[in-house]
Amino acid sequence: MRMSVPLRRLRQAPRHLLVCEKSHARHARSRHAAHVRDHAYNCRVSFLIPECGTLPEVLKSTIADVGEYYLLRNLSLHELVTHEFIDTFVKKGSCHALTYNTKIDQDNTAALLPTGKLILSVDKDTYEELGLQGRPSQYSGKKVMRYIITIDLMDPSFHPDSKKHKRVLWALKEKKPLEFDFLLAWCNTGAEGSTLMSYFPKNQIQTLKPKITFSTLRDLQCPVLQSNELQGKPEESCSTEELFEWLGAVLNQVSLDNKSFSFLSTYCCPQPNTIVEQAFLCTITGFIIPEAIIQLLEKLCCYFDEPKLAHWLTLTVHGFADSPVSWRESEHGFHKGGENLYNFVVFRNLDYWLQMAVGTNDDCPP
Amino acid sequence: MARADPPPPPPAAFERRVLRSAAEHHYLRVRLELPDGGARPSAAQFKQLVVTALRELHGEVGAALPVDVLTYEEKTLSAILRVTSSGLVKLWSALTLLGFYQNRRCAFRVLQTSPFLLALSGNSRELVLD
Repeated sequence: MRMSVPLRRLRQAPRHLLVCEKSHARHARSRHAAHVRDHAYNCRVSFLIPECGTLPEVLKSTIADVGEYYLLRNLSLHELVTHEFIDTFVKKGSCHALTYNTKIDQDNTAALLPTGKLILSVDKDTYEELGLQGRPSQYSGKKVMRYIITIDLMDPSFHPDSKKHKRVLWALKEKKPLEFDFLLAWCNTGAEGSTLMSYFPKNQIQTLKPKITFSTLRDLQCPVLQSNELQGKPEESCSTEELFEWLGAVLNQVSLDNKSFSFLSTYCCPQPNTIVEQAFLCTITGFIIPEAIIQLLEKLCCYFDEPKLAHWLTLTVHGFADSPVSWRESEHGFHKGGENLYNFVVFRNLDYWLQMAVGTNDDCPP
Repeated sequence: MARADPPPPPPAAFERRVLRSAAEHHYLRVRLELPDGGARPSAAQFKQLVVTALRELHGEVGAALPVDVLTYEEKTLSAILRVTSSGLVKLWSALTLLGFYQNRRCAFRVLQTSPFLLALSGNSRELVLD
């Protein structure tokens, strides 16, 4: 007998995607830096280097360079669309802003991309009160309960005297004032100009430093990998999915040496594997801009300039579960986990694997 | 005499694989809530409790569902569970409906769930800034 539809659904897991790419970091057409740049909002970066006891100075200083960010409390959204703000920050560098402690599956959320696009993800009532043009969320099903509004702050037609600008300002200032706590980061190419600290009132803005932790893992079982074999080869090397799960186990401090018959857990390190005496793990938590991650990735590639025992190292980046976008302007939502993360495996010869993972309410990564 | 190294393989050519809903397992980060005082379950007792929950709701077939307790911290009563993707709904519902541990009221809170174990190591909803 065929299983009825509702029962079959019970056995189905929510949709998710894992995209795996391999290429070479020094290929002219390699897109690794572009993939990092396109993923604007990152809350945690971790890297793991096998056979490494102490971190080289150059990596230490790169980590120390991961910039500060700001927490802005109770910011009225219209302040981000004033021309003073656009001219001082948005047009003179790359400005990242994301609402803090807002849940995208229930609250209104806003994000300012470094490209100057302001993206609002709002519920139906707010959308109707705002009266700004938008589109229904891709993931709202038959009855639309969430809308996405995109405002291009860099658009030449968005000048101070234009009707468009006046309407947006009026909508956000008078029609339906929206207030959020924002995470903000700004990096500009020139040294001169004002800073976010002096632009916003002192009692509203707070400077925050990324939290950095180091640890050394002893006698770690590491899977054997071959850069040319994404799918792995039986008895010779592990596949990219196996590595992805193993790395998750390592970062969550899961024990790796269980037996297939043990009661508690049957997870074990994929085969074949080797035991490395020590591995260095560093985790950076905060509001981390892509430029800092590109720097770090570049320095990690340079780690292999001198001969090293390690065959590969990994760099993992977690996105914000409640950001309205994942890569570029692809809409992101929170279904069951809101996951959007990626991981690089950089090999000794600078081949790399890139794994990009998203959950149910997401487009395919680029 | 030093052995001549084999020539290095050529740099990897671009390749892309897209795996659609292919995860074999799902992972849940859970916390058990118990009234203050009284004994806390050990790791084995915790696993037994999960199996009991499955048996209560889904019978012997449910109890046979392979579930792994990947991590368990007795102090905070929190754990990471792994289950085959087709059993996610069964496990989740069984945990939700469990109400007693050794005749004491209890409740399972599912804190985070994902098809990627790696995703559980960075939850932006628990980001604490200071």
